Amino acid sequence: MDDWDSWGMLACLCTVLWHLPAVPALNRTGDPGPGPSIQKTYDLTRYLEHQLRSLAGTYLNYLGPPFNEPDFNPPRLGAETLPRATVDLEVWRSLNDKLRLTQNYEAYSHLLCYLRGLNRQAATAELRRSLAHFCTSLQGLLGSIAGVMAALGYPLPQPLPGTEPTWTPGPAHSDFLQKMDDFWLLKELQTWLWRSAKDFNRLKKKMQPPAAAVTLHLGAHGF
Amino acid sequence: MALFVVFQTTFFLTLLSLRTYQSEVLAERLPLTPVSLKVSTNSIHQSLHLQWTVHNLPYHQELKMVFQIQISRIETSNVVWVGNYSTTVKWNQVLHWSWESELPLECATHFVRMKSVMDDASFPEPNFWSNWSSWEEVSVQDSLGRGILFVFPKDKLVEEGSNVTICYVSRNIQNNVSCYLEGKQIHGEQLDPHVTAFNLNSVPFIRNRGTNIYCEASQGNVSKGIEGIVLFVSKVLEEPKDFSCETQDFKTLHCTWDPGTDTALGWSKQPSQSYTLFESFSGEKKLCTHKNWCNWQITQDSQETYNFTLIAENYLRKRSVNILFNLTHRVYLMNPFSVNFENVNATNAIMTWKVHSMRNNFTYLCQIELHGEGKMMQYDVSIKVNGEYFLSELEPATEYMARVRCADASHFWKWSEWSGQNFTTLEAAPSEAPDVWRSVNSEPGNHTVTLFWKPLSKLHANGKILFYNVVVENLDKPSRSELRSIPAPANSTKLILDRCSYQICVTANNSVGASPASIIVISVDPENKEVEEERIAGTDGRFSLSWKPQPGDIIGYVVDWCDHPQDVLQWKNVGPNTTSTVISTDAFRPGVRYDFRIYGLSTKRIACLLEKKTGYSQELAPSDNPHVLVDMLTSHSFTLSWKDYSTESQPGFIQGYHVYLKSKARQCHPRFQKAVLSDGSECCKYKIDNPEEKALIVDNLKPESSYEFFVTPFTSAGEGPNATFTKVTTPDEHSSMLIHILLPMVFCVLLIMIVCYLKSQWIKETCYPDIPDPYKSSILSLIKFKENPHLTIMNVSDCIPDAIEVVSKPEGTKIQILGTRKSLTETELTKPNYLYLLPTEKNHSGPGPCICFENFTYNQAASDSGFCGHVPVSPKAPPSMLGLMTSPENVLKALEKNYMNSLGEVPAGETSLNYVSQLASPMSGDKDSLPTNPVEPPHCSEYKMQMAVPLRLALPRPTENSSLSSITLLDPGEHYR
Repeated sequence: MDDWDSWGMLACLCTVLWHLPAVPALNRTGDPGPGPSIQKTYDLTRYLEHQLRSLAGTYLNYLGPPFNEPDFNPPRLGAETLPRATVDLEVWRSLNDKLRLTQNYEAYSHLLCYLRGLNRQAATAELRRSLAHFCTSLQGLLGSIAGVMAALGYPLPQPLPGTEPTWTPGPAHSDFLQKMDDFWLLKELQTWLWRSAKDFNRLKKKMQPPAAAVTLHLGAHGF
Repeated sequence: MALFVVFQTTFFLTLLSLRTYQSEVLAERLPLTPVSLKVSTNSIHQSLHLQWTVHNLPYHQELKMVFQIQISRIETSNVVWVGNYSTTVKWNQVLHWSWESELPLECATHFVRMKSVMDDASFPEPNFWSNWSSWEEVSVQDSLGRGILFVFPKDKLVEEGSNVTICYVSRNIQNNVSCYLEGKQIHGEQLDPHVTAFNLNSVPFIRNRGTNIYCEASQGNVSKGIEGIVLFVSKVLEEPKDFSCETQDFKTLHCTWDPGTDTALGWSKQPSQSYTLFESFSGEKKLCTHKNWCNWQITQDSQETYNFTLIAENYLRKRSVNILFNLTHRVYLMNPFSVNFENVNATNAIMTWKVHSMRNNFTYLCQIELHGEGKMMQYDVSIKVNGEYFLSELEPATEYMARVRCADASHFWKWSEWSGQNFTTLEAAPSEAPDVWRSVNSEPGNHTVTLFWKPLSKLHANGKILFYNVVVENLDKPSRSELRSIPAPANSTKLILDRCSYQICVTANNSVGASPASIIVISVDPENKEVEEERIAGTDGRFSLSWKPQPGDIIGYVVDWCDHPQDVLQWKNVGPNTTSTVISTDAFRPGVRYDFRIYGLSTKRIACLLEKKTGYSQELAPSDNPHVLVDMLTSHSFTLSWKDYSTESQPGFIQGYHVYLKSKARQCHPRFQKAVLSDGSECCKYKIDNPEEKALIVDNLKPESSYEFFVTPFTSAGEGPNATFTKVTTPDEHSSMLIHILLPMVFCVLLIMIVCYLKSQWIKETCYPDIPDPYKSSILSLIKFKENPHLTIMNVSDCIPDAIEVVSKPEGTKIQILGTRKSLTETELTKPNYLYLLPTEKNHSGPGPCICFENFTYNQAASDSGFCGHVPVSPKAPPSMLGLMTSPENVLKALEKNYMNSLGEVPAGETSLNYVSQLASPMSGDKDSLPTNPVEPPHCSEYKMQMAVPLRLALPRPTENSSLSSITLLDPGEHYR
């Protein structure tokens, strides 16, 4: 448990360092607004997308076939507790900034928790290291989203008592379903990162003055 | 009814206690039927659990009974298993029995019934079966819950190689269900429209995270659901190998084994197998924390024998191995300690050590290993507690490593670890005389003897050699001897000895003493014998030498030679009965000549040179070519010589020379043969077989022809390096003759010229006396003074003769003409020295066309004046002028002609030349006759040019017979005046 606390501390430190330039007291050139924070969150999302691609490959191989087969696309019968990233396009367009950010924050809070559960049952040390590294990065993303919400003046969603998602290996849960849950967790995480990139790109365009847009766009291509 | 039963039972028991016969009769009449059969399921173990009681069982009596059980699947008629279960039944006992189904219970309804028979010896025959109980139905399907597809068994753990039946239950028969094992579709047997079973035979171990099996229900291409199981296949637990226990201190038994394959599975489905140690005599058990070793505490001193069972266990299997041993037979001693060496001298030492005490009266067997000088010696010794061993026959001054290990002597189990120590024996005097040889340089009055010796081998040195003693004893004067001490590691010394016989003794000394002496005698004339040198050939870097056996007392032979390039004397001793040896050393280099000298050693230790041999271990081609000189070059031959070429310093024996000659002629000269060079060109080759023949006369050559030659030596390995050919050209055949003629001629001409110079006045007077000048004539002054003060010499241009009177006064004419000449000379002084032949316009700037002539001797002026820098290039020049000077060649040509004309070498009729007329015309032809007509200029521009010459300056020098008319004609300006 101490191990996870230290990872959390590290993630927190990363987040703080990440947002240092955005702190008005440290910014001598004046308040640049939430633009840089959104840009950095967007960049982090893209980086995590890249990182997850390699992690998911390793983990699904660890689960074995059919989970590591590229065309394996089972109906999403289980894994109901996972936050769904897919949403109707019109609904997504109609989301306001606050709701958009809140949904992202809540989703990653849940996914991070499930991911830590995944880490506990991984058998190989190398896989555990990769998962721990990804968890730290995801914690950083969560902090980054929190930073953007704070910059925009939105309150962080408070988890209802007792609804904190926890990873519990239920006795009725068969090993196959457990593997299926892991599969869906990685899949949802991938979809969420993809959606978040869209979300933050949309927010970024909204917040940035048109002249600066070109520069930031190029910067985003660094990933 | 109950009362009746109680009464009946009581009645029977009373009777049984009285008479056995009576109870037999009762049993026959009242069969013991199984009742209250209840069946429950255990999904995890896929088992049916049966429990029942037996009716009509006598009170407090145990009866042996057999129950036959029938199990049907899906329907009662489909009996899948029938078996008997024998047990002892007590009154009012609830019986239990389990049956494991290969088909998951969730996939089919099962039916169970049983019947019983008494199988007790106390009841006589005949026994008969009771009636079947009623079918008991077991169905788990109803408890599956919601869902369209179910796959069983869930997360089953099986051993590798076992057979597994899996099945699925599809709620909707409309769905098409496909099942996959590790991604490959599998096909099964349909048990009913909803249920299909798959028999997997001998399942393999794929991974410790389990084998995934899943089924997918679909309608058309639409997937309705997916369900699967993970089949955990464990590797088969192996029996532990090499299980053994031993003690080092009689307090702990250390047991070890080879665990074999780890059977752990992922997701905590099965941990690694556990190991338990069980000792049957004490009944103690210990769960081992390590997978390959375990320590057992010995608590009872009295227990000598142990019976250990090692049990390996996982969820599926248990394996065990057993060993029975006496504790004293499993003693693995700790390694000995306090290893020391006492009384170490040059050849002996005492080794001592101690052994950890185990029990009283324990005898140990110890093994000693002695390592030194690349050898190993082994000794065994039996000891109690303190060990001691006398090591003998050691080498002096040698470092040894001795080590010891021990074991229980009475019951050998295994050796302990080694304990060792190094020690060094003391030095001893060197055991062998050094191998000594010498080289002698005889000089007038003395010998310079250089002594060489080889360092003693470690075996013979017996320590570190500190110095060598050389004792030189004069044999002719025995009282005089000299001792020299030469510190090691020197291996030679130089002695200058007079012409006496000397005996030299050399000893090697270490800290203990001296070696035996090596004796060598230098005679008065050590190397006076002239010996023919024989050539030998080395093969593969070695030389085979043989020599004639020497008559007389010979104690041995010595072959010596010098190593190159170190130039160190080497030698080899050969026994007296041997007359051949092979000298082989890595120091031999190809292309280096080695000189071997073979000496015989007399009994007086005097060396006598017997033979000399020289050779190359491998001959190479010559490294350089001779510098060839060409002399005696004639038109038909030349001589090539290379006297300076040294044949001795070559990397092979020079066998001769090849002379290559190239010439334009295709045919080779006599004695030469055609040869093709490495570049493909052809030439002629002459071979000289004698290496000392260092000259060649190449004859039969053609005059004025060029030849190229190249001389290269050759050895058995080939020719010298390629080099360029040297060119030689034979001279002309007549050239010498010409020299013989020309030189006297030149000498004669020079002589004539000198004579002419010395006698020039005489020649002048004789050949061309001065012409008298009329102006300088004495007669002129006489006339002026006496007759007419205004009288002047008539200028020939001032009068127009209409009649010529010839006066025959030779003397007077002479004087007149001389006076005229003087006048002309004076006039010349007022005039410029240069006369512009081609006047230019006034406005012409810069140097005009200036073909000019100096004074009257213009012919000469043309050859050296600056006219050539004034080529008539003015565009305004008259056409005639341009015509004249159109090209410098013309000018040069013209001037050249002029010059030639002035020498009077103009051939007759060549009238186009400049100024021929100036001198030649009036004087040509008949010298004494005047021309009646003016000289007609030829029709050429050159002559016209002459017409433009101002009269005064262009006036030709008058001669005695000069014509006045011709002068007039040449001076138009004066004419107008």
